[in-house]
Amino acid sequence: MLIQVVLSGLVIGCVYGLIALGYSLIYKASGLMSFAQGDMLTLGAFLGYTFYGIFKLPFVVALICVILCMFFLGLLLERGIIRTLLKNHVLPVYIVLATIAVSYVIQNAAMLIWGTQTFSFPAIFPIPLVGVLGVKVQPEALFCIFMSLVCMIGLHVFMKYTRFGTAMRAAAMDPTAARACGINVSFSTGVTWGLSAGVAATGGILLGPIYGVYTMLGAIIGRKGFSSAVIGGFGNMYGAIVGGILLGLVETFTSAYISSAYKDIISYSMLLLFLFVKPTGIFNEQAITD
Amino acid sequence: MKQSKALKAALAVVLLLVPILLRNFNYGILICGFIGIYIVAISGLDLVFGYCGQISMGHAAFFAIGAYGSALLHKYVQLPILLTMVLAAIIAAVIGALLAYPASKLVFHFLSLATVAFGEIVYQLVAQSPGGITGNFTGFYTESINLLGFKINTNFRFYYFALACVCVFLLMKHRLVKSREGRAFLAIRENAHAANGMGINVRNYKIVAFATSAFYTAFAGAMYAHYVRFISPETFSNKQSVMFLTMLLFGGTASLSGPVLGAIAVLLLNEGLRFAERYQMLIYGIMLLVVILLMPGGIYGVIKKQLDKRRVVD
Repeated sequence: MLIQVVLSGLVIGCVYGLIALGYSLIYKASGLMSFAQGDMLTLGAFLGYTFYGIFKLPFVVALICVILCMFFLGLLLERGIIRTLLKNHVLPVYIVLATIAVSYVIQNAAMLIWGTQTFSFPAIFPIPLVGVLGVKVQPEALFCIFMSLVCMIGLHVFMKYTRFGTAMRAAAMDPTAARACGINVSFSTGVTWGLSAGVAATGGILLGPIYGVYTMLGAIIGRKGFSSAVIGGFGNMYGAIVGGILLGLVETFTSAYISSAYKDIISYSMLLLFLFVKPTGIFNEQAITD
Repeated sequence: MKQSKALKAALAVVLLLVPILLRNFNYGILICGFIGIYIVAISGLDLVFGYCGQISMGHAAFFAIGAYGSALLHKYVQLPILLTMVLAAIIAAVIGALLAYPASKLVFHFLSLATVAFGEIVYQLVAQSPGGITGNFTGFYTESINLLGFKINTNFRFYYFALACVCVFLLMKHRLVKSREGRAFLAIRENAHAANGMGINVRNYKIVAFATSAFYTAFAGAMYAHYVRFISPETFSNKQSVMFLTMLLFGGTASLSGPVLGAIAVLLLNEGLRFAERYQMLIYGIMLLVVILLMPGGIYGVIKKQLDKRRVVD
């Protein structure tokens, strides 16, 4: 029982972490918040289902296709909508509302295209169950945890050790100075939004085989992702994953040992508690004070 | 000056006559009642967002506290309904103040997260209440307002009740924003640091703004509960909070008429979209985007710009 609970906590926690990672990236690069990340996850899951389940592409090809599609969608969102709004110097609330509008559009467009039923994502691995420490689990669950960690390490290496990643960090830190150094700030902001969408979509594909694919899949996960981002320290990439895993464990332990009715209340209470008591999160990220 | 007075008198007469003009169109009167409810709710949101500059993405929570508070107080304590409505609104104001106290140090994005979380917590409490006192997902039936034996149980009667409420609340809002508090709200919106430097206690005024706003929206929630006579959690989800913000921004912030215009416009649009039920939310989302991109000042902003232009020409 215990191992089962820990594993399912890790699975959902890693997905929360991936969503939170997107929030952190966007916040770092543009000082904005997107409320559409959860629905990017939904869309990723649906596209994955379409490419892998219907078109029967090999899983790796489907994964890459989905990430590419979502990357360009994220880029488009930033270019088409966010950029225009910033240029018009509107109140920040309009940008928040615009991302909410985008999330409504994605949710309802997905409903029109794919319908309201829950699709079962075909298995990725030929074996149905594997044994871990005496319990049988879906191999997809382990794959989800593994891929999330790969994503995080990959992003870390990309941001820290590549030329483009360094440019992105510089652009986020001080756009004017970065521009003076010859960095294309506008391009790197766009890429950040694209990356966030790609990461969220990866979360969707990983979660699809475990939870099934349906239009409201990402809506709640998107809001919970805010909890994990704040718990870890908003804007901190490790904080995002650590906060996500912590939140996932707390949630699954609550529903396993207390009651699943209080699961959501506890995770939103954690968000409030951290905002009020320790707004810099576990990793002491100073984003909130500015 | 004379002209505007005559205009106001004409408007008052039209408002009083609406249900009589629509007497063969009960559905129309029903919608007018809802418009009244939303005007009260959004005027409250306008106080905290439009005037004080503090975003709230969880105002559906106050709407829920008002609705369920009044309905539960009536059922379990057996108080007369108008009293329960006021009591529920006061409870919401206290909760709003309690939320605003720690939240007052949070700036824009993080305040929005805090209010989202608050909205979700209240939603969960209503949907999965301890002991099932709210009826959870099956909903909760309640009665209509009873004014000393006079039951407000038809759309026709409720229209006049809502009209009276709207007038009272708009008058209160007018007095509030013209007062010392109202000026403090504006100062905080424009620059909290400067306001602090002028001797304005920023935290206290933010708490006042939140509490008043909660009072308005909760009273509107109570009106809703006793108008529809049935409440269920779906009405109080985060979609409702977004709807409030949409109406406010659509109409225009920091004005008396903005929330009125916004409530009318968005409710009528929503009703108009009912023919395309399957596409309703999709069209709503696209429309929201278009409005944000093309008309950031809301309807009130557009009208004001036109009026200003004319004044310059004169």
